[in-house]
Amino acid sequence: MTVTGSDIWLLSPELSLALLALLVIGLDLVVKRRSVVAITALLGLAIPAGFTFALATNLPNPHQAFFNMLTVDEYSLFFKLLFLLIGAVMILVSYDYINKYVRSAGEFYALLLLSVTGMMLMASTTELISIYISLELTSIPLYIMAGLLRGDDRSAEAAVKYVLLGAMSSAILLYGFAFLYGLTGTTSLDGIATATLKSGFAGGNILLLLANVFVLAGFGFKISAVPFHNWAPDIYEGAPTPATAFYSVGSKAAGFAALFRVFVDANIALPNGTTIVMLISVIAILTMTLGNVVAIVQSNVKRMMAYSSIGQAGYILVGFAASVGSGTPGGIASAMFFLFVYVLTNLGAFAGIIALGHALGSENIRDFNGLRFRNGWLAVGTSICLLSLAGVPPMAGFFAKFVLFASAWQQGLTWLVVIGVLNSLVSMGYYGYLVYAMFVKEPHKEGHISSTRPLNLALAISSVGIIVVTILTSVLLDQANIGAQGLAAFLGH
Amino acid sequence: MQTQFNALLTIIVFLPALGAIGLFLVPPKRTAWAKWGAAVVTAVVFVLTLALYFGQAWDNTSINNLRWVDFSPWINIHLGGNFDFKVDYFLGADGLSLPMIILNGLLSFLAVIGSWHIEKRTKDYMALILLLETGVMGVFSALDLILFFLFWEVELIPMFLLIAVWGGLRREYAAWKFLLYTLFGSSIMLAGILLLYFDQGALHNGAYTANMVLLSSPDHQISGFFSLGGFQIGAQLLAFILIFTGFAVKIPMFPFHTWLPDAHTEAPTAVSVLLAGVLLKMGAYGLIRICLGFFPVGAHDIAWWLGGLAAINILYGAGVSMIQGDMKKMIAYSSVSHMGYVLLGVAAAAGVAADPNLLAFRQAALTGAALQMFTHGSITGLLFFCVGVVYEKAHTREIDIFGGITKRMPKLATMFSIACLASLGLPALSGFVAEYLVFTGSFPIWTTWTILGAFGIVLTAGYLLWMLKRAFYGPLNPKWAALPDASTLEMVPLISLVAVILLFGIFPGLLVSIIQPSVSQILTTMVAVIH
Repeated sequence: MTVTGSDIWLLSPELSLALLALLVIGLDLVVKRRSVVAITALLGLAIPAGFTFALATNLPNPHQAFFNMLTVDEYSLFFKLLFLLIGAVMILVSYDYINKYVRSAGEFYALLLLSVTGMMLMASTTELISIYISLELTSIPLYIMAGLLRGDDRSAEAAVKYVLLGAMSSAILLYGFAFLYGLTGTTSLDGIATATLKSGFAGGNILLLLANVFVLAGFGFKISAVPFHNWAPDIYEGAPTPATAFYSVGSKAAGFAALFRVFVDANIALPNGTTIVMLISVIAILTMTLGNVVAIVQSNVKRMMAYSSIGQAGYILVGFAASVGSGTPGGIASAMFFLFVYVLTNLGAFAGIIALGHALGSENIRDFNGLRFRNGWLAVGTSICLLSLAGVPPMAGFFAKFVLFASAWQQGLTWLVVIGVLNSLVSMGYYGYLVYAMFVKEPHKEGHISSTRPLNLALAISSVGIIVVTILTSVLLDQANIGAQGLAAFLGH
Repeated sequence: MQTQFNALLTIIVFLPALGAIGLFLVPPKRTAWAKWGAAVVTAVVFVLTLALYFGQAWDNTSINNLRWVDFSPWINIHLGGNFDFKVDYFLGADGLSLPMIILNGLLSFLAVIGSWHIEKRTKDYMALILLLETGVMGVFSALDLILFFLFWEVELIPMFLLIAVWGGLRREYAAWKFLLYTLFGSSIMLAGILLLYFDQGALHNGAYTANMVLLSSPDHQISGFFSLGGFQIGAQLLAFILIFTGFAVKIPMFPFHTWLPDAHTEAPTAVSVLLAGVLLKMGAYGLIRICLGFFPVGAHDIAWWLGGLAAINILYGAGVSMIQGDMKKMIAYSSVSHMGYVLLGVAAAAGVAADPNLLAFRQAALTGAALQMFTHGSITGLLFFCVGVVYEKAHTREIDIFGGITKRMPKLATMFSIACLASLGLPALSGFVAEYLVFTGSFPIWTTWTILGAFGIVLTAGYLLWMLKRAFYGPLNPKWAALPDASTLEMVPLISLVAVILLFGIFPGLLVSIIQPSVSQILTTMVAVIH
């Protein structure tokens, strides 16, 4: 039982990222200038990114490390690059806000990087206990980030709520894991898959079903699926806006990465297939519908985005249901592509919201009125992101949704697709309203709203990225597809 | 298919969008730059669309025999579970699309000229007109169904903003209504496209394609039945109805028409021109190209109903026009009526089974429908421009407030009268040819509907001439003693469109010879499929 060089090489992205986090927090103690800390964090990301690219271009064989606890495959590499992108854009997005409102800037970046480390591990770990540990590594920094606005009651409330609910969801998840261990005698996903196939669960098993439900519930909290969504709006509203942006993309994408991994690699849905697909479909419908309908009536943009991100999670669950139901990777591949586009788009939309909040000090939907006159480029960039979230062609969001719904349709989940399309129409109500407010309504006040350079850069990355992704759909979707197919050679064992 | 690039259509489609981005870079104070920029871009695009026509011979074009093809594979992924996601970048023109591409080029240019007086947020306005042009060009030249849908939706946001910002008093209501109706239609259309895509792929062992050339050939058409709640519906009929819902909203067909009068009345003049001139035609074009071309059996099943709806459209639109007090609203409803002729022509083409004696009639009807798309676009465009000039000078469009203003506006009244005469189908003006072809063609096939529809011509003559009499002729209402005539700039679009109407009224063969081969191919497929 020794650790080999190959293990370290496979872990190198996460290792370097964790070291970078420590460097950043140390640097914060000795360097006065905050920009130095932020730039170190941003440029430092090139190192884990370089390792990830090196692994991706030349995937070592065997690609398992630490006694099969860690698996570096195309699936995890796809997510790792996505998380690194999130990290980089997040640093750009949060720089000005953190400088203005948060006293401990270095801590924020370090927490961010640690959380990203956890996310990268969540996509890569293939053993129940490691999955749980990486989940906590992801979550604990998130709890702290929620409370970083010292002296703000709502921020403190958000942090406390987040810790309590997060701990509860972790407990539920652990309970499910315990069931799995009890039933199969192993914590390795591969071992569980073999055991569920071999030991006569074929006709369904109530304990296994319970384990499925608990695991779904535990991750359901992370991805804010109904009925585990209640935390999201309050915490999104109370937390510092950059932290909110991070929850809406990072926590969600990582939750999905691990959820897909557990369900597919451990194959736990197989013995009760029909029931589980029905369950996921119902959750998907509730999540889409509640998220989109409630988003319409919000007056605070952060709350609106919270509900909108709940709705978006519902769409992703549609792809998940398609894959679990059919045992084919199409649904998860399209869900991965959807997640990529969603992350890019949501970060852009948040960049716009933060720029506005930074200039005006509030985040009401009213503040968007007439933004076109007050800062044209900000309005155009934010609109592109919002329209992409709504799935309006030719933005990338359309193809993402199209592929997702098409693969669900192909698996016979027609009714799920119909509800999804109707929900997309509903979502035009609030995304479209913001665009309408920006371009049609008269502004309350005159005067230019200035945005800062990092925010502009983040918004430009997102809005140009959306157009580029549309053109490069084939390339990205291909990568997602390879990743999804590699997931336990897709239930083929 | 091989990758090939003539590039001309690609330039025509994307040049306006590049122009729109360019306009955004114009400094805020320089509104004149924005106007000139838009005028230059649209003029160049119009010249390029003419180059499409003059650059190649147009005899015998059809969807199997395209001109100016740009083809390149775009997305092609095997997503497991027997699902291929395949989209090609495929543009091309045939006799059905070329007239509409040229018309869009012309009307977009004239719309920019006709909007020269716009002072409110000029830069945004011009940029949105250019974006709109890109969307419409894309719809008429896309030959991959999913690409077609992408372009179909591009028009949505610019049109919404153009109505919502530069419209009349109830502009926001009208814009939202337009948006909701269109979104409703296009999401049902998307369901139909998915149905077609998967059903077609399943029938051909997973050879998924959205290539419109393939989809219109008999061996790639879908067949069989779907069971919906215990009752059977033909796959072609179901797909026809789903996809047609999207087109029906756009055409607009009764009962999906109610967004149109609001949108037209509130939109600024040039936007109304584009809306009536080319955007409605997107629906008619889709009906012929996609619904008729891909689902001949479904179209055949529903043809009687379509004929009936066409007659309702014609009579209802004309009847409601009769009682309008607002000139612009009257013309908006007249569009509903005139688009009914297109529906009638299509219904006749899809009508009876293979009776060789009637094939010539069906061909005439469909040619008439395709021609009507072009002629109605130019005539309604002219009418809306005329009303725009009247409104610009008098700040009202109430017919009864005017009276005898010909004496003050002789130039405008001449143009307006020509437009009305063309609209009511006077021979030697282009409207006559299209309507004549539609009615002659459909008479032996849907006799009752044709007879009913023909009353529409009488009603059209009624409301247009009555309006002319009340507003323009008779004794001059002293209130308008100081009304100025149309300026030279305002006359540019009017004269151009009158020239187009005269040209194709006298030489309809120019267009008919282009349209006919494309139309024949659709009918040949139909005859081959329906026994």
